[in-house]
Amino acid sequence: MKNPGSPATNPLPYTDTKPVGAADFYFAINATFRFVLARHGIEGLRRYWTDMGAGYYRPVMERWKEGLPSVAEYWREFFKAEPGAKAEVAETPDAVTLNVQVCPAIKHLRDHGREIVPCFCQHCHFVSEAIAAPAGLTVRVSGGNGSCTQRFAKREGCPEPQRIGDIREAL
Amino acid sequence: MIGCYDFCGHYEWTFEWLRQQGGEPLVREYWNVAIRGDSQTHATRLIVEGGIPGMKEYWGHTLDHEAAGYAITSTDKVFRVDMHDCPSKGFLNRNGLAQYHDYCDHCMGWIGPLMKDAGFVIDHEHNHCGQCWWEMRRQSDPTPPSATGELAGAQDVRLGKDWRRPEAKDVYRRATDPDDKTATKPA
Repeated sequence: MKNPGSPATNPLPYTDTKPVGAADFYFAINATFRFVLARHGIEGLRRYWTDMGAGYYRPVMERWKEGLPSVAEYWREFFKAEPGAKAEVAETPDAVTLNVQVCPAIKHLRDHGREIVPCFCQHCHFVSEAIAAPAGLTVRVSGGNGSCTQRFAKREGCPEPQRIGDIREAL
Repeated sequence: MIGCYDFCGHYEWTFEWLRQQGGEPLVREYWNVAIRGDSQTHATRLIVEGGIPGMKEYWGHTLDHEAAGYAITSTDKVFRVDMHDCPSKGFLNRNGLAQYHDYCDHCMGWIGPLMKDAGFVIDHEHNHCGQCWWEMRRQSDPTPPSATGELAGAQDVRLGKDWRRPEAKDVYRRATDPDDKTATKPA
């Protein structure tokens, strides 16, 4: 696939004319995960997420090479553009921690009675790890099903791999 | 997290990822099964049960929500959309995103099978630049597509300067499938 673009001055790699996204698109994200899972299994779905992180989000990876402040900057702008999100971004010299109090996707899917793919929350690990790894960073996700913590740090400081069991199933 | 703000970007990227996994049949299956049959169940319910009033309700809400530049014209026999500034294709164009060879086909990919279920056929053209028009009529109605301006008046997208751009247009007549594309109109 072609490289979709290079980083612009905005912390978000792709920008729109409207300030906030349309929440009904979470329906399609959830449906896409279900479709890929049914056709390709959990390993295929994880490959989809990893390929998306390495390909579509490549401009984010280029930004994150600048260091952890660029990670914090990205997530602050990201959550501003997601409708209904409640998230805090905490920054220290060693890590950036996202405290997601209200995941906008899970909330919207739940509010509309949609059946959520149980492994939905795993995508946050696999997509972000594919963005982070080439930038010398890594992520650990804990929680899920509507609220979670995501910690981004330098790879050499995190010898323990992500435990998938630390990511809750979505109900 | 994958967000909804740039949804159209990773949605379009997904088409090409699927094509590389299983060819065009997998992309068509995705539009039909995942988008029509799962994501857009609210549209299916409104349109299959409600016909043209259901279309008005669905697209009135959705296109407003996506901040589209569009016009809707409807009678008891036909539902027409003139898309002057597609928010989805516009986002892709502004951000230089083009992984899949024809993003615009995705609309026919899920709307076509939905209309078939609802007993409608579609006349449609798109120019790959964010402008298109749609006319939905009952399958039993043999009426051909309207002449320019006949239904939508001054809001007919075919009257705009963007419609005269040099890019080729894809043409569908009485269609319900993305592969019902019958001609590519030269500029």
